[in-house]
Amino acid sequence: MARSKMKTSSHAGTTSGSRVTLNPKVARRSFLKLSAATAALTGVAMTAKMTTKAQAADKKEPYPGSQTVRTICTYCAVGCGIEAEVHNGVWVRQEIAADHPVSYGGHCCKGAGAIDMVTSPKRLKNPMKKVNGKWTNLTWDQAINEIGDKMLAMREKDGPDSLMFLGSAKVSNEMAYQHRKFAAFWGSNNVDHQARI
Amino acid sequence: MTNSLNDIRHAKSMIFIGSNAPEAHPISMQHILYAKEKNNAPIIVVDPRRTKLAAKGTDYVRIRPGTDAAFMLGLINAIVTNGWEDKEFIRTRVSGYEEMVAVAKDYTPEEVENITGIPASETLRIAELLANNRPTSLTWCMGGTQHHIGSSITRTFCILQLVLGNMGKSGGGTNIFRGHDNVQGATDMGILADTLPAYYGLAEGSWKHWCKVWDVDYEWIAGRFKSKEDMSKPGFTLARWYEGVLGEEKIYQDTPIKALVQWGCGSNSNSQYTRVKRAYDKLDLLVIVDPFPTMAAVACETDNVYLLPSASQYETSGSVSSTSRQIQWRNKVVDPVHNCKDDYQIMELLVKKLGFAEPFYKNIKQLPEDITRELGKGSLTIGYNGQTPERIKLHMENWHTFDVDTLQAIGGPCDGEYYGLPWPCWTEEHPGTPILYDVSKSVAKGGLPFRNRFGDEMKYEASGRVENQLAAKGVCNPGSEVEGGYSEFKDVVPGTNWKTDLSQKTIKDAIARGMAPFGNARARCVVWNFPDQVPIHREPLHTPRPDLIAKYPTFKDKPDHFRVDTRFESEQKPDLVKEFPYVITTGRMVEHMGAGAETRSNQYLAELQPEMYAEINPRLANDLGIRDGSMMTVESPEGAKITVKAFHTERVDEKTIFLPYHFAGILQGKSYADKYPEGTAPYVVGEVGNAVTNYGYDIITQIQATKDGLCKIAKA
Repeated sequence: MARSKMKTSSHAGTTSGSRVTLNPKVARRSFLKLSAATAALTGVAMTAKMTTKAQAADKKEPYPGSQTVRTICTYCAVGCGIEAEVHNGVWVRQEIAADHPVSYGGHCCKGAGAIDMVTSPKRLKNPMKKVNGKWTNLTWDQAINEIGDKMLAMREKDGPDSLMFLGSAKVSNEMAYQHRKFAAFWGSNNVDHQARI
Repeated sequence: MTNSLNDIRHAKSMIFIGSNAPEAHPISMQHILYAKEKNNAPIIVVDPRRTKLAAKGTDYVRIRPGTDAAFMLGLINAIVTNGWEDKEFIRTRVSGYEEMVAVAKDYTPEEVENITGIPASETLRIAELLANNRPTSLTWCMGGTQHHIGSSITRTFCILQLVLGNMGKSGGGTNIFRGHDNVQGATDMGILADTLPAYYGLAEGSWKHWCKVWDVDYEWIAGRFKSKEDMSKPGFTLARWYEGVLGEEKIYQDTPIKALVQWGCGSNSNSQYTRVKRAYDKLDLLVIVDPFPTMAAVACETDNVYLLPSASQYETSGSVSSTSRQIQWRNKVVDPVHNCKDDYQIMELLVKKLGFAEPFYKNIKQLPEDITRELGKGSLTIGYNGQTPERIKLHMENWHTFDVDTLQAIGGPCDGEYYGLPWPCWTEEHPGTPILYDVSKSVAKGGLPFRNRFGDEMKYEASGRVENQLAAKGVCNPGSEVEGGYSEFKDVVPGTNWKTDLSQKTIKDAIARGMAPFGNARARCVVWNFPDQVPIHREPLHTPRPDLIAKYPTFKDKPDHFRVDTRFESEQKPDLVKEFPYVITTGRMVEHMGAGAETRSNQYLAELQPEMYAEINPRLANDLGIRDGSMMTVESPEGAKITVKAFHTERVDEKTIFLPYHFAGILQGKSYADKYPEGTAPYVVGEVGNAVTNYGYDIITQIQATKDGLCKIAKA
């Protein structure tokens, strides 16, 4: 149970024995090489852009035929390179980008665990809403229809300024641009994001 | 950032104010430490905390929170008094200098000591260190901005660099390290209450420009708004949107805010978080679009909340702008997992449902490349037009061909271009601009003068002096047809200027003539449209030094500030310090990011930093009987109270409490861990630090003042 693994600050003074989030024997180097839980990622198609074949000697096994995708870390604005190893549509390992001109092979503890962004069991898995205080799964069609109907009714009754749209510094330029464009087409300047604070 | 992280390798000295790179930008450190080792460059760290950067630095200056402007003005005064200013740079490229010096002269080393707590001898010593080790790279982060005078503080940083002649030079510059991975790009794209993309603002002409780019009728867009007047009125901001919901403060729109879409934006970064929580409960509709449930998902305790699972950024693709203004293509690694959809798909579903898909996607058939092309077409002000998707991807494929010292490609398909085509990249042949305002290179090869944006001449209120705002004769980029200052380009295509000529003929003509499309002007020390035309110190709203309020009072209260009143004068209460005697300041830790929804859900990072805490000086803690590792309370003047673990450390002085702001899931002692959807509660929950950050907002930007509030503490 995830809850039993949770560490809260109300547990002051407890010993390190209660830190059960992962096996402390897993060294950092091994952690870089940890393979993802493939079961969680069934049947996804391989559409990523492949740039180079994996070359490093220690990458030969156990993922024959895997491919390396050059991508960019999603944490801070340094913009470090990441070499993601993908096998049958599953992100299995990551490597530093030794020849990226900015990160130059460097990774911080966050970037080194980038793969967990995809494999974390804590990810939201379905659209949801609360019904009588309980979270309930929805299909995408249900969710968008319900949200859209409520937004349209509110716009009709209270006008477009009854909506606040908080966009993101964690999406691409293309998506950020669409956040602003969305507010313009909706008809309100009640739109902002993290850069404000 | 005017230069780049790599360019810091050329610095002869570095000064960091309110920036803690080893925690917030760890990989920038390799360039910073390279300059330290290779150039013997001092690293001067100005911060209320002895941070990890201070540990790696050569000179640490402990400053009282919120007094950065006073220290900078003190440095400027010391430099000018000793004749260390760059006289030629100032003569040719700076305006309002005399008016600025007249203000700075009051900040004597002794007065600076009184305000900041920095010994007078240190101000002189640091001034001399900077004067003798040029160029200096100057960096600030949120420690410099999150104050009620944040916009003044940042200007003093820029003015210091102008006085030293460090702008437009390799190894120099004002190098603000941006926070989130694409906060530079998202700012450039204008997800802001007061501008359209690329800083065009909200004037009628700006709307008409973007309507042309979108290929929609201006009158149709206007019809979507309540009124045309409303189109030019800035909206609510992230800092204070909840005031639009709560109805406890006067607001300046007809309707309260009833619905909130929060998309890829953690919620506990907001100060005054107990009020934020109440606003969530009052909303009729809350839609959270995120890969992980944020604190908002559980802080909102009504049924009016929807969660839409977006894919992570590794499950989609698009361009991102680094702090160095480099645009990189973030390739998709895998398809969206679970029943997640990527942001583009979610937006498309929503826009279709809301009935404006046809005009919204008029130019956009291929996602996301057609969006890159559309945003580039319109974003001429900052030169996002030269970075086509094809060029950005080519840089990614060939990142190994770029030199680490110059960021220029040596041979290969990108030969001579700068990595990531740093903006402005004026044309599809332009190599990008690696250093802003650098007149040593031609504009076609990445050089630039200062922008002419505020007219050609100005009469200053303070002195009555009239000054030409264009650069002096002889100062221009190599090959410039005009040998000296010139105005911005307009009417090359009649009725347009370089910003609005969508044919880009104006830009191309300017560059063909060796000139910058935006003109060649002086950098201003006097900003006539700001309340403080020359930046000055003003005491924090909640100050531990009420004796300084008379001499350095805050502003008058500001009505209709992004649709809500902001208190300044009426909030500056001199007696507050009696009950709340300690300064509270916040910051980051390397293991977590932002509001922490992602990193606290990462098993490895959760293991490394599993607990919320408060940094407290051992002397203060022992005086109050708070033992290391025991629990203590931190209470704000607004009445919020959190209970956190005490961490004894001399990083902070005896008057300051530091809180990391990444934790959430517990608010004022109440755990919300059981309110997350099953199986999605983050591994780590902790008290929301921002519950106790104080009231206070910058007078221009409305950034929250989380770095210089007051609190009281006690043993729990």
